[in-house]
Amino acid sequence: LRRARALSAPDTSADAVAAEEAFALPGVRPLRGLVPLALTAVLAAVLLGVSQGSVDIPFTTVVRILAWKVLGLGSVAWPEAWGEIVWQIRLPRVLLAGLVGATLAFSGAGYQGVLRNPLADPYLIGVAAGAGLGATIVLVSGVPYAFGSLSLLPPAAFVGAVLAVSISYGLARSGGVVPNVTLILAGVAISAAAASATSFLIIANHEQAVSVISWLLGGFNTATWQKVGIVLPYSLVGAAAILASGRLLNVLQLDDEDAQQLGVPVERVKMMVIVAASLATAAAVSVSGLIGFVGLIVPHSVRLVWGFDYRHLVPMSMAVGAVFLILADLVARTVLSPSEVPVGIITALCGAPFFLWLLRHHRRAAF
Amino acid sequence: MRRFPLLGTLLTLTIALTLALAACGEDEKPAAGPEPTAPAAGFPVTVARSDGRELTISEAPQRIASLSPAATEVLYAVGAGPQVIVTDDYSDYPEEAQDTAKLDAYQPNLEAIVGVEADLIIIAHDVDNIVDALDRVGETVLFLEVPGSIDGVMEQVRLLARVTGHAGEGERLAQEMEERVEAVTDKVADIEEGPLVYHELDNTFYTAAPGSFVGGFYELLKARNIAEGAPTAYPQLTQEEILDRDPEVIILANADAGESPDTVKARPGWGVISAVENDRIHVVDPDILSRPGPRVAEGLEELARLLYPETFP
Repeated sequence: LRRARALSAPDTSADAVAAEEAFALPGVRPLRGLVPLALTAVLAAVLLGVSQGSVDIPFTTVVRILAWKVLGLGSVAWPEAWGEIVWQIRLPRVLLAGLVGATLAFSGAGYQGVLRNPLADPYLIGVAAGAGLGATIVLVSGVPYAFGSLSLLPPAAFVGAVLAVSISYGLARSGGVVPNVTLILAGVAISAAAASATSFLIIANHEQAVSVISWLLGGFNTATWQKVGIVLPYSLVGAAAILASGRLLNVLQLDDEDAQQLGVPVERVKMMVIVAASLATAAAVSVSGLIGFVGLIVPHSVRLVWGFDYRHLVPMSMAVGAVFLILADLVARTVLSPSEVPVGIITALCGAPFFLWLLRHHRRAAF
Repeated sequence: MRRFPLLGTLLTLTIALTLALAACGEDEKPAAGPEPTAPAAGFPVTVARSDGRELTISEAPQRIASLSPAATEVLYAVGAGPQVIVTDDYSDYPEEAQDTAKLDAYQPNLEAIVGVEADLIIIAHDVDNIVDALDRVGETVLFLEVPGSIDGVMEQVRLLARVTGHAGEGERLAQEMEERVEAVTDKVADIEEGPLVYHELDNTFYTAAPGSFVGGFYELLKARNIAEGAPTAYPQLTQEEILDRDPEVIILANADAGESPDTVKARPGWGVISAVENDRIHVVDPDILSRPGPRVAEGLEELARLLYPETFP
């Protein structure tokens, strides 16, 4: 365990102790104080998101609409359109943003954990480029993709994402082992190939360019309860898997061999985390497009503030990711009202300065 | 979007093209006086290009390359079709235009364009400085940005007819179009305030605001546009804004993508919109409306029928 302490050497001594506790005392639950804080923040963000929009609906009316829809309390005393706006448009939109934010963040934490790479994000080994290519093929193919309330886009993006990750993983695997660097390089190569195919399709299909670029930049403009339902199971399973691996991820921060000697089934953990994170991210991306920055920066921010222990890092990343994306989407849909700005632009534009500020003020090693 | 290095460029390009579509139209007034009664005569003819330069054409061109779907439609409509040897990939109307050799107008290849040995090249989008590059190698290039208004279309019809030696046909066509447009606007002259319209370009709710080329049709028809006040010509609206503004008519320009009145009705929450309640959702051919060519009058008549079914049976 000397290495563990060496790993966190740049930290304050308190953190070194915390890190040691994390390895030595797997039974300890250091999260207790943070959970209510995180839940309150998420709830506040949801309420704020639902009460604000390009249409001005008084906060009390929003609360009454929610009370009537959820609990059956009160009576309808508002314009019919307001009820639909709050219940069919804003609430699913806010929940989808929160769900996707949480998913990208825990997936990012998981990828960074197993790959031990600070530049890892959920898009690193092909999810984004594969999903982008899948969606682009449908958008430019000229086949009708809307059928009633169903659309071909999410399944196409999902299949593209899963295929790309599978190819990266398959190529990197040799002799039952998947070396991190090989996996990352394979992922980067697959991503580059898929991205250039996407770029070519955009260039060659000028008339659909705006639709494709708008999809790639990501957004929640078309959020529905149905989309929330599509993502939710993947997110729940993925979150459960990665939350359960918190302690193993801590041990994996040693190198693979050391972790192996400590009895961690390294390859199995790696595969489980990557499969869980990739499937959850693929589902999130399939309904929201390629929202950048969240999966990379949120885990880092959490690490800067609350430390390296993956048992904090994963759940806190979920909360921060949800809050961050709900707020970013709020900006996206109100700043140029009545029009939209793709949320992917907002996440980087507002998130980057905040992260840099965090980096300066918590002079903890970032990774 | 670091994984898509081209995206930024593409977005800029697309926005620039859209702006070009919306912004031009003023500066293509013919430099020489009109000669409506002298078809085929009147060469040399000098016209102003969209970049401000003048272009003099000494005799009627016999090998025309048209890198603009709108210009292609005009050329065939004024009888210059037999002189056209090459068109761009998107020139799909009239049918004869599909049988010509093809060039790419959005990724123009200098060598391929020079290789067709055209005596007049018509370009609507100056991608990668292609106009300048063609000027340098001595080609005769008529750079005409797509007009931003329906009036601009008539001007361009006359201009294209003149430079190809069909001034008479051009004048006749332009006049006929003007009459058809006038017939429609006369009929709506007494209407104080037309229906409130949402014109859907794609199913992430991009629309055409007043001031855009498509938006101009609705202004002529006195319809009100739910995208009024939007910051750009082709804005993306939020769904809640669409529900709140409550359009009386929805016009779908994205039937190609599978959208139809039924898919719109199936969207969650959209049941409260007047257009959905009253079944006033209609599909239009986006090429006729968004392409500033000779079919604009047809497009205007079609929209008039959809917006005012009683006045335009």
